[in-house]
This record gives sequence, C-alpha cells and structure tokens, in this order.
Amino acid sequence: MPATETDRPPVPRRGLMARLRGSTLYRSVVRTPGSDSPSGRALHAFGNVFLHIYPVRIPRGLLRFRSTWRLGFISSVLFALLFITGLYLMFFYTPAVSMAYGDMQQLRAQVGFGQLIRNVHRWGAHLMVLAVVLHLVRVFVHGGYKAPRQFNWVIGVGLLVVTLAYSFTGYLLPWDQLAYWAVTVGSGLVKYAPGVGNVLRDFLLGGETIGQAALLRFYVIHVAVLTVAFALLMAVHLWRIRKDGLVVGDTGVAHDVTARVDDRIALPAAEQADGVARLDDSRRVLGVVHVDEVPGRSRDPDDEVFSWPALIIRHQVIALAVCALVLALGIAFEAPLRDIANPNLTPEPSKAPWYFVGLQELLAHFDPLVAGVLAPGALVAALVALPYVDRNPSRRPADRKVALVLFWAVFLGLVVLTIIGAFFRGPGWAFVLPWEHLYFEP
Amino acid sequence: MDQTRRDLLEAGWTVGGGLLIAAAGWTSFVALKPLASAGGGGVLPLLEPDAYPEGSATFVRQGRLFITRTGGELHAISQKCPHLGCAVPFCESSGQFECPCHGSVFNAAGEWISGPSPRGMDRHPLQVTDGRLLVNTAVLEEGAPLGSRKFDGRARGPRCTTEPAD
Repeated sequence: MPATETDRPPVPRRGLMARLRGSTLYRSVVRTPGSDSPSGRALHAFGNVFLHIYPVRIPRGLLRFRSTWRLGFISSVLFALLFITGLYLMFFYTPAVSMAYGDMQQLRAQVGFGQLIRNVHRWGAHLMVLAVVLHLVRVFVHGGYKAPRQFNWVIGVGLLVVTLAYSFTGYLLPWDQLAYWAVTVGSGLVKYAPGVGNVLRDFLLGGETIGQAALLRFYVIHVAVLTVAFALLMAVHLWRIRKDGLVVGDTGVAHDVTARVDDRIALPAAEQADGVARLDDSRRVLGVVHVDEVPGRSRDPDDEVFSWPALIIRHQVIALAVCALVLALGIAFEAPLRDIANPNLTPEPSKAPWYFVGLQELLAHFDPLVAGVLAPGALVAALVALPYVDRNPSRRPADRKVALVLFWAVFLGLVVLTIIGAFFRGPGWAFVLPWEHLYFEP
Repeated sequence: MDQTRRDLLEAGWTVGGGLLIAAAGWTSFVALKPLASAGGGGVLPLLEPDAYPEGSATFVRQGRLFITRTGGELHAISQKCPHLGCAVPFCESSGQFECPCHGSVFNAAGEWISGPSPRGMDRHPLQVTDGRLLVNTAVLEEGAPLGSRKFDGRARGPRCTTEPAD
C-alpha cells in the first residue's frame, strides 16, 4: 500500500459491512476506524488499548527481521500461550499429593484435548526458556545493554530468572518420578547456600521432604506469585524499551540519554534568567526531553514508518508461526509422564530439566557449594552487573573484543556442559555414548 | 551542618518505610514457615537383633532406612543421600550403597567411599529393649566425615551402577 502523505477524504462505501461500520454501536466501540491515510494509521495504533503498546511510528530499520530476530516478541507470544494453556490446565488439576498424578492421567484419558493442551504447555515452556536465553544473547551481541538501557537489561535478567523459576516450579506439578527426583536434586542444592541453606530449603519446600506442603507451595508460586512478578517486570521492560528509543540494532556508539536529561534539567535558560527554576511545574518537565534526542530514533521522518500496519502485521505473522510450531510439537511429541512419584525409588539416572542439566554436570566435578550455589549465583550477579562494569560506549564488535570473547566463552561452556549432561550421562552419572543408549527426557 | 525539616522528614520516611518492609518480610517468613515436626518420626520397633545377619541390608519402609550389619555392628542408615537427597539403594552384588544420581558410593556401614557426597550417610540411633531392636527415626545423626572410615571399603562383587567417569 503506497503511502500518500496527505489525508484523503474518506471514500464512501456501500454494503452491509459499511452500514455496520457506520452504526452508532460500532462507532462507540471502535472509535478510530483505520483508514489508509497517515493520520488514520496513526490513530489506529494510538486509539486502541491493545495496539497502544506500540509507538505510532517506528524507525524503518526495525522492520528488518535481523534487527531483533523478534526474540523478545516470540518470548511474549509463548508467555501468552502458556498463560492460556495454563488456565485451561488449572481447571483439571488439584495440587494434592493424592490427586495430582491421577489428574494427569485423567487429562490424558478423559478430558477433551487434555493431553494436547498439556503437550503444548510443556513444549511451549521449553521453547520459552530457549527464546528468552537467545534474546539475552542477541541483546548482548548488539550491545543493547549499554547506556541508557542498563536498567532494562537488569529487568530482562529478572525476567530470565522468573522464566526459569516458572519452569522449575511447574516441573514438580505432574507428581511423577521425573518431577519428584528432578526437584529433589534441584532443591537439594539450596541447602548448600552458606548459613541460610537449610532454612531456605525448608521454607521453599514447607518441610524437610518434598511432600504435600512442597507441592502446594510450588503450585501457588507457579500460578500466582511468578505470574504477578512476570507481569510487572514485563510492563516495566516494554515501557522502558519505548522510553529508551526502541531498539538499537545498529552497531554505533551508545548515547547516554540520562546525561542529556540531566544537562537539560540544569539548563532551561528562560527560567534561569529571572532566577527562578520552575521545573516543579509538570508541564515544563515534559518539555525537558525532546523526542528527537532519544537515540536509536531516526531524526529523519522519511526514515520512519507507521507501526500499523507495517510492524503489527509482521508481529501477527510471527505470532501465528510460533503457535503453529508449538502446536505441531504438541501433536508430534507427547509430554512425558512416568510412574507416580515414589520417594523410596530413585530412577536411574535422575536428571534435572535440560536447562539445569549443565549445572548438574558441574556438580559431578565440584563441591555442591561451588557448583550449585556459587557458580549460578555468580553468573546471575555477573549478568546484573554487566552494564555497569562494561563502560565501553561502543557497540561495534571490533571495539568490544574482550566482552564478546568472555561472553561467548561462558555461553559455549554452558552449552557444552548441558550437552554432556543431557546426552552423555547415564546411570550413576557415568559417561555413556548417546548413540548406544540415550538417557534424556525433556 | 544544616538540616531542614524536609531532610528530617525524608529520613523519617526512609527509616519508617524500611522498618515496615522488614516487618512485612519477617511476618511473611514466620507465617509461611514450615509447620513444626512435619514427618518428624518416632521410635520404630524392629525384629530381634539376630534377625539381621552379617553382610545383609534390610530396608525398613516406614522409616525410609536400612538396617545393616557389618563387622558385627548394627547400623540404621537413612536412605537419603547426603549429597542432594536421592534415595540410595543397596547393591546386593557389591555389598555397597550406590547413589543413582551422582554416583556416590558408601560401604554397608554407610561410610563414604567415593563420589561427590560431602560425608557418609546419615544415621538413626539404635537400641535394644526386651530383646527387640528399636530405631529412633526422630533423631538423625550426621554421617561420618570423609576419610574417617572404620570398616572395609572394598566391594564384594561387581557394582550395580557402572563406574563413574571421574
């Protein structure tokens, strides 16, 4: 659709749809019907509560798939999918030791589409961990954590932690052998935290062993606590993306917009001339930041496009593709359900979920305090501290050799540990070759 | 040093708010603390001591523990691995406890032989009253520290799990 930069008078339409669109009822719901004019497209994004999350106009570069690989958007689509399938599952699930496993079997045998929904929930969760991790990698490689986006990177790390906590708490709920022993091993790590380990572990499990209290706690954390935390962090994350001038995507030098704002707060000449600073006047504070000074945002209006339809249509296509992929996985592969949890029998081998299996591999070589507490703690701390430690303003790969080499070394180390733990370990954590016998269940 | 009323109020709000958050945190912690003695256990009567011959390991389901006799002594060994809490089975062919999760191996007395466990297997106190063996599952004694082995660490036959790589 070629854009004409002037508002055209609306073309009169005929027919049932046109009459419907002209009706008072329709106009009271859809208050800004889209038209092909620039103002119509702007209003469409601006006047709709759901599309309002998008800016009206975006830099053209953002339309390139490779500017973000759409990984953040894919993560939020998966979250929505997990939220909906999770709601459905909640109707058929009782967080009680005597009921949970039976509910899983009932879901499989009697509930309409029950097993499919569970499969979609399971594969969606795995994909979401993957998408969130890849999003972090993409943002790192593009230097997206640099000023002024330091704090949004920290929020993002928080979202990663919440995603992992979602997966871990959800893992226990089916109450099968896979669930029970993965969580036994995972929560066993907590007790090695110096000083507070035992108290913390008992607090998390509601007792010394994984039983009714633990199941209920994990359930409440999974469906309520983490959902509230995720929604809040997500809101801040998205809000900051817009406030910080959308995506970078380029490899230029980071602008420190916070410094600029400070300059301007100190500056307004008109006020200082008469010796009165009127910055407490909110209308003036709004004028402090000029839109055109936000970095990453093109100053050339010709290099901007309307979000609707250019970006929103692309997002819709990606959302559909993600749903199709998860649905296909759900149809093709059953979510595993082993025997009912048996505290007296540890299956061989007992593996953590795949995203923690690298940690479990580390456990085979180091003291649990090092492998289970200090190493993951240091990793999260390093991610949080990264934008404040790495003060190099350049986003060009050539200027960031040390950061990139360090990052890829740690990341590839984790990938290698995960592959060894997932595919090359068998009973008693002994080394096995995956083509001889594969001990891996997602 | 100048201190305005505003500074004082600001400090007051900060301290007050901090106290309020601390109080809320502490209250939540106490409210959600695990209920006392959940599954605490008690004294469990067993058979007479002679029913447990040398080299045997008998699983006591109610107490999730093994009664073993080695070197003439009886031991009540908690099934839970001190490493990360997996249930450790007794391997009849090797006469040892072999953890399936991370490959820790203990002898029949629960003493550490190899693997990542930080100590030997935890134990419950045993006593003999009126010719019957009693085990107190309410009391859990930490296993012996690494390298303090009293009993034989050799396997009497092949292992149930394959040897760990390291």
